[in-house]
Amino acid sequence: MSTYRVEMVNRDGQVLVVSAEQSILAAAEAAGIALPFGCRYGVCITCAARLIAGKVEHSRTVALKPEQLAADFVLLCVAHLRSDSRLQVGLESQWELYRNPWRPTI
Amino acid sequence: MTQTHTPCCGPGYASPEAAMRADSEKLLYTTALYVGSDVQAPDYLATVDVDPQSPAYSRVIHRLPMPYLGDELHHFGWNACSSCHGDPGRSRRFLILPGIRSSRIYIVDTEEARAPRLHKVLEPEEIKAKTNLTAPHTVHCLADGQVMISMLGDGEGQGPGGFLLLDERFEIAGRWENQADGMRFNYDFWYQPRHNVMVSSEWGAPRTFYPGFDLADVAAGRYGRRIHFWDWQQRALVQSVDLGEEGLIPLELRFLHNPESTRGFVAAALSSNLWHWSRQNGDWQIQKVVDVPAVEVEGWPIPVPSLITDQLISMDDRYLYFSNWLHGDLRQYDIGDPLHPKLTGQVWCGGLLGKSGQVQGHTLRGGPQMLQLSLDGKRLYVTNSLFSTWDNQFYPDLNAAGSYLLQIDCDTERGGLAINADFYVDFGKEPEGPARAHEMRYPGGDCTSDIWI
Ligand code: FES
Repeated sequence: MSTYRVEMVNRDGQVLVVSAEQSILAAAEAAGIALPFGCRYGVCITCAARLIAGKVEHSRTVALKPEQLAADFVLLCVAHLRSDSRLQVGLESQWELYRNPWRPTI
Repeated sequence: MTQTHTPCCGPGYASPEAAMRADSEKLLYTTALYVGSDVQAPDYLATVDVDPQSPAYSRVIHRLPMPYLGDELHHFGWNACSSCHGDPGRSRRFLILPGIRSSRIYIVDTEEARAPRLHKVLEPEEIKAKTNLTAPHTVHCLADGQVMISMLGDGEGQGPGGFLLLDERFEIAGRWENQADGMRFNYDFWYQPRHNVMVSSEWGAPRTFYPGFDLADVAAGRYGRRIHFWDWQQRALVQSVDLGEEGLIPLELRFLHNPESTRGFVAAALSSNLWHWSRQNGDWQIQKVVDVPAVEVEGWPIPVPSLITDQLISMDDRYLYFSNWLHGDLRQYDIGDPLHPKLTGQVWCGGLLGKSGQVQGHTLRGGPQMLQLSLDGKRLYVTNSLFSTWDNQFYPDLNAAGSYLLQIDCDTERGGLAINADFYVDFGKEPEGPARAHEMRYPGGDCTSDIWI
């Protein structure tokens, strides 16, 4: 079973070792790292994170729109590592996903 | 709050008139959450002291954290209400407290009213396996020991969802509905047993509303605009009314408290209109009775709707209150002439229009949202969080500031609203970090729980 390393750049560079079968969220929980989540099945974005480098498989992602996928957002509850990676995690990585549709975009 | 318990009687009150004469509320429960904020802590049920004579007045006096992260506690309800008043064997003791994002359902025991404790947990896996339902929302007890919960999605987060039944031991009893043809989405429901009717409204599918509000989803028809009338005994949908473009996203539904009445109101959040329904010659008629126009904000490309996200009716059926979450005002209408509600009071509690002042030195962030009214109709409570992902879109500063809980004084003689300056609950100062407060209930029943059979 292959394992990969993921570095959480905004958690003091903490490194997590994740098996390819495990979601990144489940691996973080098993390691005692609290990351945000809600639905746990890819439909709600509460667990969203930004992939800075590396490769993930996340075909069960429902809640991200094409432009958000293009901006390298991933949903950790359904994301599996396919290479060593670097992630920005938590709410601070997510603000670009939250837009007031009436307010002009700056 | 104390309730008069005579040997004859179960929970609640014999009638809305009797409820109005009850003692004033002394405790208030509200859901408080960390989902969607940058605090990784479980959501909790807060007990707030609302007794002006108490030294702890206007403070959180107890917190019951849930055993899991990530629930998004939202709405909640009782195991029994005034509909069981005739049954001395029942009591209003357990709160049914769903997590709308986790699809987990907690049962909370309030025997010790100030310090409720966890009684039971229904796991999402079990609910999904037995009913293929997720995203629990509104809770009503059914006057026979069972509890019904509107569920907004299926196991994949798709609509239309359905209705979950719990038995007297809070075990999953299955789905309530026998026939739901024509229902596209689900949200709130309320029933009026003397007329054998249940009415339900439509938000959207969890996979649409969980990630946030997108106008493209509205354009694609992924949000609701229908009201459904059900045969309560047959558990069958009998009439659906399409409210059209003026009725987009109908949310909270309220029948008049008078159990003889077929009248009720629903607010369409996105279209920002209030609608009235009643039964005429066997048919349900519904018409728009209040319009809140969108407002131009300088420099913004499209006018901003008010977004009516909650509304409720006073126990004497005289006043209706609603909140404009985006504009920031809370309104009182005299509904003595129900087809022509008259604006009698208005107060600003935050909002995007910048018209609000401060309370006890606090800038009011977010917008007025969930409402609860005292049984005597004089004290209106309001919190400012809507839904974590939507909060983050429209009021990102709630993350660091946390919620307010305000109390508004309602003039029930001449009409009028004023913020009570002696009351401010600051959820920004909670021990685990800034929390967001949502729905509110009192131990003795309130204006959105009780139904009379
Ligand atoms: S927790 Fe909802 S998408 Fe991951």
